[in-house]
Amino acid sequence: MTRNLRQNILVYALLAVVLIVFMTPIYLIVSSSVKPSPIMFQKPPAFLFTPTFEHYHDLFAMRPFTKFIWNSLIVALGSTAFSLTIGSLAAYAISRIRHKRMNDVAFWILSMRMFPPIAVVVPYYIIFKSAGLLDTPLALIIVYSTANIPLTVWLMKGFFDEVPLALEEAAAVDGYGLLATFWYVTLPLAAPGLAVSAVFCFIFSWNEFLFALMLTGSEAQTATVAVMSFWSSDAVQWGRIMAGSFIILIPGVIFVLTCQRWLVRGLTMGSVK
Amino acid sequence: MSAITLKNVIKKYGAVQVVHGVDLDIDEGEFVVLLGPSGCGKTTTLRMVAGLEDVSGGELSIGGQVVNNVAPKDRGVAMVFQNYALYPHMTVKKNMEFALRPLKLDKAEVDKRINDTAAILGLGELLERRPVQLSGGQRQRVAMGRAMVRTPDVFLFDEPLSNLDAKLRTQVRWEIGKLHQRLGTTVLYVTHDQVEAMTLADKVVIMRDGYVEQVGTPEEVYTAPQSTFVATFIGSPSMNMIEAKVVAERLEANGFSMPLPDRFQGKVTEGQAVTIGVRPIEIKRVAASSTGAMQANVEVTEYLGNEALLDLRVGPHELVAEVPADQRVEPGKVIHIALNEGAIHLFDTVSGRTLSE
Ligand SMILES: Nc1ncnc2c1ncn2[C@@H]1O[C@H](COP(=O)(O)OP(=O)(O)O)[C@@H](O)[C@H]1O
Ligand SMILES: [Mg+2]
Repeated sequence: MTRNLRQNILVYALLAVVLIVFMTPIYLIVSSSVKPSPIMFQKPPAFLFTPTFEHYHDLFAMRPFTKFIWNSLIVALGSTAFSLTIGSLAAYAISRIRHKRMNDVAFWILSMRMFPPIAVVVPYYIIFKSAGLLDTPLALIIVYSTANIPLTVWLMKGFFDEVPLALEEAAAVDGYGLLATFWYVTLPLAAPGLAVSAVFCFIFSWNEFLFALMLTGSEAQTATVAVMSFWSSDAVQWGRIMAGSFIILIPGVIFVLTCQRWLVRGLTMGSVK
Repeated sequence: MSAITLKNVIKKYGAVQVVHGVDLDIDEGEFVVLLGPSGCGKTTTLRMVAGLEDVSGGELSIGGQVVNNVAPKDRGVAMVFQNYALYPHMTVKKNMEFALRPLKLDKAEVDKRINDTAAILGLGELLERRPVQLSGGQRQRVAMGRAMVRTPDVFLFDEPLSNLDAKLRTQVRWEIGKLHQRLGTTVLYVTHDQVEAMTLADKVVIMRDGYVEQVGTPEEVYTAPQSTFVATFIGSPSMNMIEAKVVAERLEANGFSMPLPDRFQGKVTEGQAVTIGVRPIEIKRVAASSTGAMQANVEVTEYLGNEALLDLRVGPHELVAEVPADQRVEPGKVIHIALNEGAIHLFDTVSGRTLSE
């Protein structure tokens, strides 16, 4: 056996292990979501069975699950869009303004992410109650953005730092103002950063559970909370939970795949020099 | 009306002043070159004209309008950057379109200008390429094209040839000169290369440490340098400089003596410390017996084909002479030389200023 071949086998073996570790939960979700309830906990587990869609049917019959998915989408896309807008503008300012206190400002923004969410649930509840925003998607968009904006600022600052100043100066001489230069030159060149930020913001908002549980009721409930509502003190409806979980997985995957094509590197190559 | 006027223009970075009161008048259609060694403030001056740097003091006008506080986009200038600064996410065509968009022209005019410019610069084949797919020379041309399509009042160039190899540099230099003749646009051009300055400029502005040393035509700065700095900076090989004293109507230096040429009579005083400047080509080989002949040791000989450079030692002085190649001699030999008195320059050693006027 050649050295190369042995190396390849090792690499593939490791890949297989990693894949198994990551894919097993997904397999369990998918298989449990179509398993008839009586054999759900059979030991050893049943690998071959006639799949049933009763859990999916129940999920939509017993809860307005479509509406909850819409809520999740509105909250996740809303927070992502808002965080990218505010976050990249802030990051641009931090990247370009030369001031000895700028690093402190950047660190202060990052520190927003450092407190434990549980510590602020009650204050948020009180604030949104008095503002009349409880059980609205807007409340969750605001809360998630406080976590997403700092992340976006830090990611985008790194990407903006990489965009050569000469390009912005060229645009300035070509007749563009500050915002136009940002929009047409700087931002497109930082597109990979925008894609990474969008993925992180979306996934965080889409998956978030604690705030969604505490700040929403029947109206603005998100899919994650809705799925867990099948977990009650008298019974846990595993089939429906798994069916809901599988449906929740799909938009995240689609979103990441959509963003992936922007994750190209070396976009600024050939601009200066 | 002059295209660009600088009146006592100053640039400070914090407490450090890097451009000290520059005065300059650039006429409509003139090709003006800012020339000087690295770090002398050429780029800073150019960037102030472009509006990329604030003016710390003085007055800067373009087309008769004071523009100290006018944004770059409203100055009607186009700039070719040292490293081209092409927009990497746009094709060559898009780069030019982008520069035209603020002018709000109609589509037909935009296409016409892009096609005309592409034809002049030979960019036709490259229009759909991205900057990353271009060679250095092609990028340089695109950068010029992007500036040209806008038909600006003023072109600004910052060392546009410095990233090209020697052969391409000569070619593009020639093209820039031709382009200026054709378009007649006012040009302000920064370089540290005297050949570029001498070949392209209508007017050369020689800068040193943030000061303007001399402004003049290429011929003026070569034949009538106002200071020892200009004298040694312009011309290759450099002008020889010999420190001397005026003693009894003669210029006396250690191991070296010559009569004070008539034209300097009354311009120097007895005992004044002066610097004699003489270009290598104005040092001739002469017979040992001729008047004013000085003995010189040949230390190094550089053969250049048509001519040869002789590194000479005359007493404590090191001089370079440029002689016809057939007059060259082996290192180690002793020859006799004389300076062409009609062509020597005289400077006050203390101030470094010329005594020729
Ligand atoms: N942003 C800046 N901050 C401080 N000093 C600067 C800055 N830009 C240039 N300088 C200084 O100003 C002087 C002139 O620089 P520059 O105009 O770039 O010179 P040149 O183009 O003639 O080589 C240099 O000494 C340089 O160090
Ligand atoms: Mg420079």
